[in-house]
Amino acid sequence: MPDGPRTETATEAAPDRLSEFPRHQERIMKGNYAAAEAARLCRVGFVPAYPITPQTTIVERLSEMVSNGEMDATYVNMDSEHSVFAAAMGAALGGERVFTATAGQGLFYAHEVLQAISHFRLPMVMCNVGRPSIPWNIWSDQSDSLSQRDTGWIQYYGESSQEVLDTIIQAYLLSEQLNIPVMVVLDAFYQSHTSENIWIPEQDLVDEFLPPRRTAEMSIDLAQPKAFGGLVPPEHYYKFNYNSWKDVNKVESLSAKIAGRFAGHFGRKYGNVEAVNIGPQTRLVLVTISSITTTARGVIRKYPDVGLLKIRLFKPFPKASVLDALKNLPENAILANVERNFLGDREGAIQQEMKRALYGSRNLRMLDFYAGVGGKDVPPLTIEKIIYRATHSPEDINWIDVD
Amino acid sequence: MIEIRGHARGGQGMVTAFEILAKIFNKLGGFKVQAFPAFGVERTGAPIQAFLRVAQNEIFNRSNIYHPHLIIIFDESLLEQVPVFEGLKENGAVLVNTEKSPAAFAGRANQIYTVPATRISLELGLGSKSLPIINAAMIGAVMRIFQAELDMALPVLRQSVPIKPDANAESASRAFESVQGLEEGNEYLVQCLYARDAEMEVVPEEILAQSAGVHSDAFQAPFWNVPMSSNKTGNWRLMTPSYVSKTPPCNANCPAGTDVRAFVRLTAEKKFDEAFEVIARHNPFPGICGRVCPHFCEQNCNRNQLDEGLNVGAMERFLGDRLRQRPLKPSPIRYKERIAVIGSGPAGLTAALRLRRKGYPVTVFEALPLAGGMMRAGIPKFRLPDEVLDEEIAAILKEGVEIQTSHRVTVEELATKGFNAVITAVGSHIGLALGLENEHLFAEGITFLRNFKLHGEKDGIKKGDEIAIIGGGNTAIDLARTALRLGAIPTIYYRRTITEMPAIAQEVEEAMAEGVQMEFLSAPIAVNLTKEGLITMRLQDMRLGPQDDSGRRRPVPIAGSERDVVVDKVIAAIGQEFDDFVFHGQKVEPQQGKVIYKGNVPVFCAGDMAWGGTVAEAIGSGNKVAEEVDAFLRGIPYHHDETLPEVVLPEDINYTYFLPSARHRSEFKYNRNLFNDFTEVSAGLEEHELVEEGGRCLHCGDCFNCGNCFNFCPDAAIFVDESGRIRIDYDYCKGCGICAQECPCSAIQFQLQEEETL
Amino acid sequence: MKPALEFLIKDEKVYSGALSCRGCGWSLLVRHLSSILGENTVYVAPASCFSIISGPYPLNDLKGNIVHTVFAAASATATGVRASLDRQGKEDTTVVILAGDGGTFDIGLQALSGAAARGENILYIVNNNGAYMNTGIQTSTATPYGAVTTTNPNGGFKRTWPKDLMGIIAAHNLPYAATGSLAHLEDLRRKMKKAKDTPGFRLLMIDGPCPPGHKTDPAMSISIGRLAVETRLFPLYEIEQQQYTINYIPEKEVPVTECLKHQGRFRHLFREENYPILEEIQEHTDWYWKQLLSKT
Repeated sequence: MPDGPRTETATEAAPDRLSEFPRHQERIMKGNYAAAEAARLCRVGFVPAYPITPQTTIVERLSEMVSNGEMDATYVNMDSEHSVFAAAMGAALGGERVFTATAGQGLFYAHEVLQAISHFRLPMVMCNVGRPSIPWNIWSDQSDSLSQRDTGWIQYYGESSQEVLDTIIQAYLLSEQLNIPVMVVLDAFYQSHTSENIWIPEQDLVDEFLPPRRTAEMSIDLAQPKAFGGLVPPEHYYKFNYNSWKDVNKVESLSAKIAGRFAGHFGRKYGNVEAVNIGPQTRLVLVTISSITTTARGVIRKYPDVGLLKIRLFKPFPKASVLDALKNLPENAILANVERNFLGDREGAIQQEMKRALYGSRNLRMLDFYAGVGGKDVPPLTIEKIIYRATHSPEDINWIDVD
Repeated sequence: MIEIRGHARGGQGMVTAFEILAKIFNKLGGFKVQAFPAFGVERTGAPIQAFLRVAQNEIFNRSNIYHPHLIIIFDESLLEQVPVFEGLKENGAVLVNTEKSPAAFAGRANQIYTVPATRISLELGLGSKSLPIINAAMIGAVMRIFQAELDMALPVLRQSVPIKPDANAESASRAFESVQGLEEGNEYLVQCLYARDAEMEVVPEEILAQSAGVHSDAFQAPFWNVPMSSNKTGNWRLMTPSYVSKTPPCNANCPAGTDVRAFVRLTAEKKFDEAFEVIARHNPFPGICGRVCPHFCEQNCNRNQLDEGLNVGAMERFLGDRLRQRPLKPSPIRYKERIAVIGSGPAGLTAALRLRRKGYPVTVFEALPLAGGMMRAGIPKFRLPDEVLDEEIAAILKEGVEIQTSHRVTVEELATKGFNAVITAVGSHIGLALGLENEHLFAEGITFLRNFKLHGEKDGIKKGDEIAIIGGGNTAIDLARTALRLGAIPTIYYRRTITEMPAIAQEVEEAMAEGVQMEFLSAPIAVNLTKEGLITMRLQDMRLGPQDDSGRRRPVPIAGSERDVVVDKVIAAIGQEFDDFVFHGQKVEPQQGKVIYKGNVPVFCAGDMAWGGTVAEAIGSGNKVAEEVDAFLRGIPYHHDETLPEVVLPEDINYTYFLPSARHRSEFKYNRNLFNDFTEVSAGLEEHELVEEGGRCLHCGDCFNCGNCFNFCPDAAIFVDESGRIRIDYDYCKGCGICAQECPCSAIQFQLQEEETL
Repeated sequence: MKPALEFLIKDEKVYSGALSCRGCGWSLLVRHLSSILGENTVYVAPASCFSIISGPYPLNDLKGNIVHTVFAAASATATGVRASLDRQGKEDTTVVILAGDGGTFDIGLQALSGAAARGENILYIVNNNGAYMNTGIQTSTATPYGAVTTTNPNGGFKRTWPKDLMGIIAAHNLPYAATGSLAHLEDLRRKMKKAKDTPGFRLLMIDGPCPPGHKTDPAMSISIGRLAVETRLFPLYEIEQQQYTINYIPEKEVPVTECLKHQGRFRHLFREENYPILEEIQEHTDWYWKQLLSKT
């Protein structure tokens, strides 16, 4: 599928005004380019690439930056997404900081290797630009990444291009501290191809925050040869999993800590989740991820008793952060989970995760709303319909604009 | 419920056996069953486990069996490698496949039964020695332990085996009858089998509360670096390779006892002095043997299967000639017993030298004016130049052997002179008669050769004479070639064909090249003198009949084929016998070693008069008699080991690793005009040719460090130790057998593992 | 053929104790390969018997780094490893893939083709034993015509010809590709050395003996391999930028049956009704040889 006219340039000069953020430059930039900028700023050394809509402009931009010397990385055109991730695995084992991007079918195809990378405990960051599976559809949908929840990758969902850029920087720090790979997800078109204001930090600023990858224990060492992977008998395999589990448990708090450090350093603050208008007066909370969040923010300004819970760190699901965000919410309030995914189950992924998080702690009524699946636009009206339905004729599971 | 655990090696089929057992138990009593292997990645030969549960009612357990009632061990060697008895219930039993009785395993479990399943299976042709298929036998033994009715089990077994149902059923039956260590069956096991309620064991709280202790704060990921060598794969091995030194055919066939292979190898390595020493240990006449020996070594050389045997003779000749005039000193006299040797031929002189070296004073008595026996009197100069013979005998004298020539003695005479032992080695210098009328018309071959060589007597042969020679041995050939050199026209008449001729093939070839006529399948039946003083010989044609005692085909006369030839002279050379003068009229049956002789001195016999007919055989005979005399004089029982060694045969050689290369032939020189030319006909080989010729050796049964075993070992289990010796690391050798298969020269044997050797 | 008359491996770069079956080609192959490549080598192994052979946790058969990777993408993982080493200035480190025929002819072909076409500086070793042996002898597209495997729905044995991998490889216009036999060690080692010293993507396909899979006597592993060369079932040749060189021309015309008869996987072909199959194999072998000759 064509990504649109090629006459656009990657970045356009922003209006000439002073920086809101010191040591940053403001640009008007598409989300995909923001992701590519982030990879450059993180001094990524290896980029295996394969085109797929709507991610393609990320790898195109990376290719351009490598080609014109803006970026010192090895860029390889692979034969498939499966090979992309297999190559990423090899280079990560070799000690390099690796970045790549994919979408939909590509992510599904790479599923096997995603498992391998996380079980190998290899740090890396990739961007997924969400789209669903065949029959062909290239529009915004999170079924691809959400179906990979169980591959052992940490998942962040970005609301804006700025957040994608900032999250990628944080993700490398997190990934390299815990040796767990990170997937940063952005929405197709509403983010990937949307030009908006974005503050690009100076390289030095990023370098101060993100040290070079430490490689000692993880990587190929010619002086001290090792076997990587290979057969692990039952009596040992579960011990590796046990170790992974311990580190997975550290993600939520470390993610928050890194976000805190990031705020201090760059001036932009992110939480694992974000609570908007959640207090004793709130009777309905919309639970959202990615770009729908922004539209929802706008809508709830009309509804003083409706709050918003944005999930930024999605995997492992930040149970403590969620509980904390809802701590002032009265027990008779309703949670409305907004799903831009369909995974073949009754409930969408957000509701599944929310239920697990609240189990035994909160007994809030939870409603599931399928909206925007397959790229169907989610305008403010859809959000308002959700609010209306949730407060007037709620069913446990609802499809907006279908039934 | 009963729980059974099996231990075997991958490839032995235990998993299948357990599956069949499950079917049988189900058939026998409608039992619920569960048979499964400990699923792993083990390869053929590696220790493996399998499990079987049999119960009256539902089985509520799908885990491995840790506390079996019965343990079945398919491979006895596992006992030392795997904790096979681990977890056995107190009253539980163990069944071992072994030839041993249960007593051999006493103390390792309360109830031990044994069954020779491997033997039973092999007897019935199930599997091979390296991989016997013992499933059925083990199943039969298990049936016995449970007092099961074998007849009900056999149909299931027959249906379940892929091939040979009868042999498998018979194997089970035999094993059923062959279980040692129990009378009826194991009551406890039978009770457990039929118990309706599974045992409900109470696990002590302290065990329940135990922590596995896997917690570690250190970062752990699937990367590792322990060397593989901590995994000892040697316990996979069934067949074991080992380096051996086998007897090569050259050595086995050398009557003199020479280590041919060794001196050939040393020659190839240009270690000529050492090579000579190897020969000289057994043979004081390398120069002579190099020229006149039929070289049984060459005839039996395994290289003949590829192209041609090695030219060992040329090497021997070269090595002998090279050191013929070497300085020598007599060994000190250590014993007072004096030894007499009658006859200075190869047997007598070899025996004399061997005994002299051991420290005995030895005197050799020779009837002829010159020493050498048949080498002196029977072999013409064109085959054996005088200086070779003279100098090799001189070397023996230098070592302290005394020779009295022109001294015809009897044993009795020597007894009176105070000798403590007498060796008679007078050879066979008396020609045999044909047994025809007018026998006097025949000249006698061996006598002719002797008289010509020692005294130059031509017995009237003139240039142009037609000479008929009867016989097919070396004497006949030598006679014919001598006659040629006297200007005569010799024809050999032999009653068999060229194939059966006892003469050395090369000599026959050379004789024919020189112009000797030969008529085969012809035998004289009468001779008469003509008026002109010529001889008419009536010949009869023969055909070859069945084999005789010598293994050759017997000549059978063809009736009506008689014909006459007229010649100047007829010489018979059909064989010789010994001169019994030496025994002074006493009738003595000559044989190798001590003979029955009534007199005052012990008498030993050697050489042609005892056996053989070639220089090499005489040398071997001399060596042996020397040992016997020494043992006799020292009062030690003499025993000569006559058992045949295991000889490397052509089928043992991997010819793939030997490229064809032509034999270096000794040049055969002869003039068109042979008249009066008694110079040596064979030229010998140059040093570099001999080195190359040595390089043609196949090294039968002798590792020559070719590297194949090392280079082809998949398991890196062959190494060179500090002393440079190539060795097998049995900790890792899995027993694939590639080293033995790819050994070019059969220097690795590959056998079922012998417990004692490892 | 003459024996080497020397111990070809001066310094073992594998440890003993590998989990290979008796008479396994993988072990011997890697033993020689590692001795030539030395310790400055990173091995990349997709799923194959070698994944098991080279050592379960915590053991390593190799005196070198080995990366076990997904079945389909060894060439991709090696690409990543290569890139990281190059970035770190370790251009002299050899990156070598150890793959079976399944991981090469079938599931790994796409990644292989990609890396070959990119000219990655990688040495690809394919141990071709003609079936998925690690999973228990299933048909691959390398399985010879007529061979029995455990997955032959069409009449019990394979009725299609194996893929011409070397032809496919040649079409990639590689600097160096060659076939090798463990029975011709000196030739094989020369090729390993040459492959090591040639920059770019190079591939060696080695005839892999497999006693359990081929139903052969483990002791015969080398002898059968030699017969495969003598019968021209497995010709030894090199391809340099599509230039073919045949390295060994058998002196005599040995019928293919001389090699097939030692292998249980072909036993059924020696029944009268299958004689035409033997003839077909002979014809195909002769044809391939002629094709090969015509390319030199």
